[in-house]
Amino acid sequence: MEQAIETINLVRVFSSPQGEFKALDNVSISVPNGIIYGLLGPNGAGKTTLIRILATLLLPTSGDAYVGGFHVVREANKVREIINLVSGGERPGYGILTVRENLMYYGQVYGLTWSETKRKIEELDQLLGLSDFLDKRLNRISTGMMQKYALARGLINDPDILFLDEPTLGLDVNNARAIRRVIKRLVEEGRIKTILLTSHYMAEVEELCDYISIIDQGRIIARGAPEELRRMIEKEIIYDVDIRLRDVDRLNFLKRLDSVIGHTVKTRQLSGEARIRMILSSEDIGTIIRRLEDEGIHVLRVSRSEPSLEDVFLKLVGKGISDEEK
Amino acid sequence: MRRSRSALNKVLRPALGRAFVRIKGGNREPSWILWEILLPMIMIASVIWAYEHLGAPSIFKGFVILGGAMMSYWYNVLWGMGRTLYWEKETGNLELFLLSDSRLPGLLLGMALGGMFNTSIRSIAVIIMGVYLFNAEFNVSALPLALLIFFLTLISLYGLGMGLSGLHIVYGRMGVRINEALDEPIMFLSGQYYPISAFPTLLQYAAGLIPLAVGLDGVRRALLLGEGLETLYIHLIILAVATVAFYLIGMKMLNSLVERGRRDGRLILRWM
Repeated sequence: MEQAIETINLVRVFSSPQGEFKALDNVSISVPNGIIYGLLGPNGAGKTTLIRILATLLLPTSGDAYVGGFHVVREANKVREIINLVSGGERPGYGILTVRENLMYYGQVYGLTWSETKRKIEELDQLLGLSDFLDKRLNRISTGMMQKYALARGLINDPDILFLDEPTLGLDVNNARAIRRVIKRLVEEGRIKTILLTSHYMAEVEELCDYISIIDQGRIIARGAPEELRRMIEKEIIYDVDIRLRDVDRLNFLKRLDSVIGHTVKTRQLSGEARIRMILSSEDIGTIIRRLEDEGIHVLRVSRSEPSLEDVFLKLVGKGISDEEK
Repeated sequence: MRRSRSALNKVLRPALGRAFVRIKGGNREPSWILWEILLPMIMIASVIWAYEHLGAPSIFKGFVILGGAMMSYWYNVLWGMGRTLYWEKETGNLELFLLSDSRLPGLLLGMALGGMFNTSIRSIAVIIMGVYLFNAEFNVSALPLALLIFFLTLISLYGLGMGLSGLHIVYGRMGVRINEALDEPIMFLSGQYYPISAFPTLLQYAAGLIPLAVGLDGVRRALLLGEGLETLYIHLIILAVATVAFYLIGMKMLNSLVERGRRDGRLILRWM
């Protein structure tokens, strides 16, 4: 069966006066038709670079990539006929024009007539609920509205393959949920055949995607259906330890402990508390608690946890997906 | 159902769309009347008064008014196109356009057409004010020939502008600097406020390489001196050759610069 998207040993190197940076390192993925495929990884992992190559905006340094059976370099114009891309936090557009006028413009860009574009906007209004702000200027709408507009723009040409790059980035819980609902409907109702979605929100990928590749530092480090990935860690020993701590750097010693395979810290600034999630090589949590207390860190609660998809990344990379590089 | 689009559709539809953006956006806030009409009139009036003060023949008023009216097209088609393209890149709009199967010259054409529409209002206002305030006189019977020269000038500038726009994609801010560096010499050579016949012969030949200088000279000769096709055919030939040459060079430059942008990542890296 022909794949919707296929990459073979894709490499992209960026050069700058400071040196070379390999954003993609031999990435090979196959995305079948009719699914939502998730590309999960922390910021800077190479997700956006991969999507930009597939969307023909960037050339690969080496390797091959096909979208809809067309080569992204040699048949770029054919690829462009069947794709669209929506990025989270997207702010492009003409602020002085209304949302409707912006969509009218993109209708023209995709070769629709004025009347076809008007009909399409009505259809997108039904799907996304745009009517509250269709006639507002683009520079006067909220972030949530902006993301709905971006999605409408991405659907204006009825693409077969839609690239969604961090589609809920910066959105509040309700707006993110609304966008996720629409994404699901798009594939369920057959409006879009295939979606390639990148995210660093584990729950989002888990909720939406039929198949997931985890990418870190330009390399695919794991792949599979969500349940397959979860199976990778079902036997792991995972603990959540709640502590009182403001300075996360004081936990760096955990990296040096052999018994800690990986850990991630989520801080709650207001309460001054933090939660450490740890994958351990043995059940000996007592030793770690003692080390924490020796460091003068007040331990509040300790609980054994069920593995989640986020722990796959923690196990493979040794840090959480949302952790910033230090 | 997906339809395949003709090559013409991939240029004209986006051109129409982008012209719509420019015209709608350009006229949404009335402050443009101040920037586009009243302020340029101050410069034109000052040059006319300088000529009057020096006792220059009254035909010079027409030179200045036509120069003022046409120069705005120059800015719009050539510099404006590149600057707007740079802005499109910085805001991320260019990236979204390049995702589509539309052709980039269509976007540039749309910017130029939209800009021309807005500029035409300014130019008509400049000419009307020139006629009524300064009693400038024009040979209206030569209007068709003047318009032919004028449009050929614009089309050749469009070709040149396409090529220069590519500089903005690859060189970013440096492209803006290159434009600025070319600005004054070209203003000087094109004879905005004086006839290029005032130049030494060598400079006149140099001016002949700039379509605006040729076009402006032709329009002035037609509308002010009443010259016809028997003398202005040389202008038409130069402009026709320039149109074809600049279009071909412009397309080649633009395509290769966009390809380079795609290779270097400069199409998507906004700070470059």
